[in-house]
Amino acid sequence: MGLSTALSEITLVLFTTLAPSGALAICVMAVLLLMRPGDAAQRRRLEKFLYIPLIATMAGLVASATHLGNPSNALYTFLGVGTSPLSNEVFAAVCFLALTGIYWFCSFLPLRSAVVRRAWLVAIVATGVAFVWTVAFAYDAPPIVTWHMPTVPLALFANACVGGPLLVAMTLRIARWEQSEGAVKGGSVPVLYAGLAWASVAGIGLSTIVYAVQGVLLGGIQNYVAAASHLVPGYWGMLAAYVALCALGVFFSRRAARRCVGGCDGAQDGQAGDAQGDQAGDASRDERSPLSGHRRIAGDRPCFDDVAALACAFCGIFVMRFAFYMMHMTAGMGL
Amino acid sequence: MTEHGFYFDSTRCTGCRTCEMACKDYKDTDIDFNYRKVYDMEGGECSLNADGTVTNSAYCYHVSAACNHCEDPACVKVCPTTAMHKDAGTGLVLVDDTKCIGCGYCHMACPYNAPKVNREKGYSVKCDGCIERLEEGLKPMCVTACPLRALDFGAWDELKSTYADAAVGNIAPLPSKDYTHPHLLVKECNDAKQTGDMAVMVSNPLEVM
Repeated sequence: MGLSTALSEITLVLFTTLAPSGALAICVMAVLLLMRPGDAAQRRRLEKFLYIPLIATMAGLVASATHLGNPSNALYTFLGVGTSPLSNEVFAAVCFLALTGIYWFCSFLPLRSAVVRRAWLVAIVATGVAFVWTVAFAYDAPPIVTWHMPTVPLALFANACVGGPLLVAMTLRIARWEQSEGAVKGGSVPVLYAGLAWASVAGIGLSTIVYAVQGVLLGGIQNYVAAASHLVPGYWGMLAAYVALCALGVFFSRRAARRCVGGCDGAQDGQAGDAQGDQAGDASRDERSPLSGHRRIAGDRPCFDDVAALACAFCGIFVMRFAFYMMHMTAGMGL
Repeated sequence: MTEHGFYFDSTRCTGCRTCEMACKDYKDTDIDFNYRKVYDMEGGECSLNADGTVTNSAYCYHVSAACNHCEDPACVKVCPTTAMHKDAGTGLVLVDDTKCIGCGYCHMACPYNAPKVNREKGYSVKCDGCIERLEEGLKPMCVTACPLRALDFGAWDELKSTYADAAVGNIAPLPSKDYTHPHLLVKECNDAKQTGDMAVMVSNPLEVM
């Protein structure tokens, strides 16, 4: 029965896998933009690549809309803002994505007020936090005994901390953050990438503890139709798969960072040598990244490690989100 | 608003499913979903003693349940579109299909397993207390059809005074009444277990889920 519940809500599984990590990634990038107002070239590059976490978040939201029986009535969803947790979630999502989308679109315009831009970034962070918060509590209703637990929102926050930093790291590398003059001179790139990886590791640690507690709690919950633990018979195996996949994700991300930072040592050389390389007609230097369109550093494998990192982490998160929908149970007689 | 509710006498119910089938026929529901469901509750055991005798503590009783048109319905609370609402005149919990988006949150939140999204129609469906019959002064079809007269329906205050020996839904498998304050009065049979007593289980889950 648990399996059929999760399969029928598979698009929500996808939404809650992608959207919190995407939203956190956008918030982190917004904070980075707020912290480096002076480096215009670096800022513009980062702004343009905001579309990567934005697509991840929107893909989840669009996927979730496909499970609706009658999407043409979707505007009525705003009638429940303030009373229905689902309406609050949709409202926060619309505000957050609209603010981010408009900001990204405006990044292509030549003139923008710095004050407005910074205020806009603050609004993005505020609505992003509200969005993740409302997703975490979207299904928090007392009769749903297996979802009305403190572990449920905690696990969602922790999952965002696992996937979000990896998404930020990939976006920064695609945006060639490490080739920024300020970033290289300040020596902040390796520290930033290491910090993102450690944030992800901390997320894995926290979520593992939370999921372990949740697994123990499930053992004590039952209604008159089934025991919660029987709805998710492979819970502990799924948790092990989650930890393994997320750890693999961090491994790939770190490998990508090492390649990148190793390449960054020669990045300035590479930048300086571009002209020479062009003149020399060096084939390896003419190679360009398929995602960013920027010139690729010699020996830098194009995004494979970053894509693998995200694929592993999102697969891991997907597994435990699937388990979440499997364990749906109300008090009394509902599954 | 005059709240309405159901009365169920478990001392009379034989689990014949006439209420279920009459509703199904009248409302023309899909083959895989009923607005009213009969839960078979079983517990106890038969054990062979050392002297060859058998000790029997096995028991069975039935609970016929539909939407209880609760005072504080979980489905209405969580509905994002306000499609799920309490009718201003009768207190019945109804679905406005012109607003419903078919998200299924009402189904997830209801501890009485009452609403469900009809994927073909695109909106939630559930017991509406046969409101069109109520307007004609008639009882819901399930109540009229019950051959044992184990069901009744009416204005909540009148129902409580008529069946003073019944209590608000408090037998297994019903959840604690504190979740939603259901408009359901139950007269319990001798074998019925109180809500919270997990010695008894629904024995026909595939039929009622």
